[in-house]
Amino acid sequence: MSSITLSTVFRRRSDVRYRRIEGEAVVLRQSAAEVLVLNEVGASVLDLADGERSVGEWIEALRSEYDADPETLTHDVLTFAGELEEAGMLEVVAP
Amino acid sequence: MSFGDGFLRFPDLFPGRRGGEPWGERSLVLDVAGGPYRVAGLAAAQEEAVRRKFDGLCRAAGTAAAVAIQVFRAPAADFLERDVRGWEYMLDMEHSRSSVLLAGMRLMARLDWAPGLTGGLWTCEAAGEEWASIFENYFRVLAAYRLLGAGGAVLHSAGVSDGTSAWLLLGPSGAGKSTSSRLCLERGASVLSDDLNAVLPAAGAPRLVRLPFAGDLGGPPGGPPSYPLKAVLRLVKGTEDRLRPISPAAALAGLVAAAPFVNHDPWRHEALLGTLERLARSVPAYELVFSLGGGLWDILRAIPA
Repeated sequence: MSSITLSTVFRRRSDVRYRRIEGEAVVLRQSAAEVLVLNEVGASVLDLADGERSVGEWIEALRSEYDADPETLTHDVLTFAGELEEAGMLEVVAP
Repeated sequence: MSFGDGFLRFPDLFPGRRGGEPWGERSLVLDVAGGPYRVAGLAAAQEEAVRRKFDGLCRAAGTAAAVAIQVFRAPAADFLERDVRGWEYMLDMEHSRSSVLLAGMRLMARLDWAPGLTGGLWTCEAAGEEWASIFENYFRVLAAYRLLGAGGAVLHSAGVSDGTSAWLLLGPSGAGKSTSSRLCLERGASVLSDDLNAVLPAAGAPRLVRLPFAGDLGGPPGGPPSYPLKAVLRLVKGTEDRLRPISPAAALAGLVAAAPFVNHDPWRHEALLGTLERLARSVPAYELVFSLGGGLWDILRAIPA
């Protein structure tokens, strides 16, 4: 797993398919046929992992969307990005 | 391991198209969800074995069919012998946009879209139960793809009915599909299958459709063909009986996990997600914790429309 900072840029792996449905996201990793359900924030992170925006930009976008404490939000997003990377959903875009 | 290595002596010689030497000139038509399906190229003993297995679903050879399956000879030397003790049998599959290849115990097979679905099955089995099982293993896969193409899905599930409506019970192996089916059966329900059922779109509610692939329970083929689906339930074994609504996303995840064969095919994932999302949005979904106390069937029947 890579060391994640606010400048890290992620993209969804090419074998990941997902559907937004009433706020949540159902994620299917094609190569493993694994199915996950993400909550609304998780679904937003998946949307934001477009290979262009950095983790810091995700946090800015999420701050405008959700009324969350900035420190808590930063911690949660960094942790979640790591979990998604470890689960094979996201990959780091080389700088 | 490359495709076919576990079953085939010469995986590189896998048939590149639907062709070869048929076993015979017999054919039959199977009236199963997504079909009818015409099976041709059969020897007389193969036809007889399929008729015995799918009794009640066989139609005259002249009946119009939606999908054509051709059966071909393959030498026994093409297949590896495997020690199957303590082994869970899974077909080996290779996917592409226009075809799916299958390798298994004494079988090679293809599904091809050109653009309609056609099937080809190569085997060394000439007759009997062994042949009929090979055919059924292949037919399960073909039906799953065919139904997905028709906007439906085959689901690893238990289907129970009160004769008017039906309920779909989902869960991985060990979640209690057979146990819950048996509990419903004891209270007067009918069980479509405790292994594989089909869901097809319909005006109003989607319909739960009987498939001739019953597990331990399930009525004989040829019973009532389908019922309006009243609810999807994710099974959890417990010490009491309890019903809790789950979100459409949780229902969709359960449905995708329960869609055998096609949920491993990256070329069909978009279609599968789309089809099952429509289903998840159109039918209420619950988590059903159930005990052996027998209250499960009453809970199902009390679910509001």
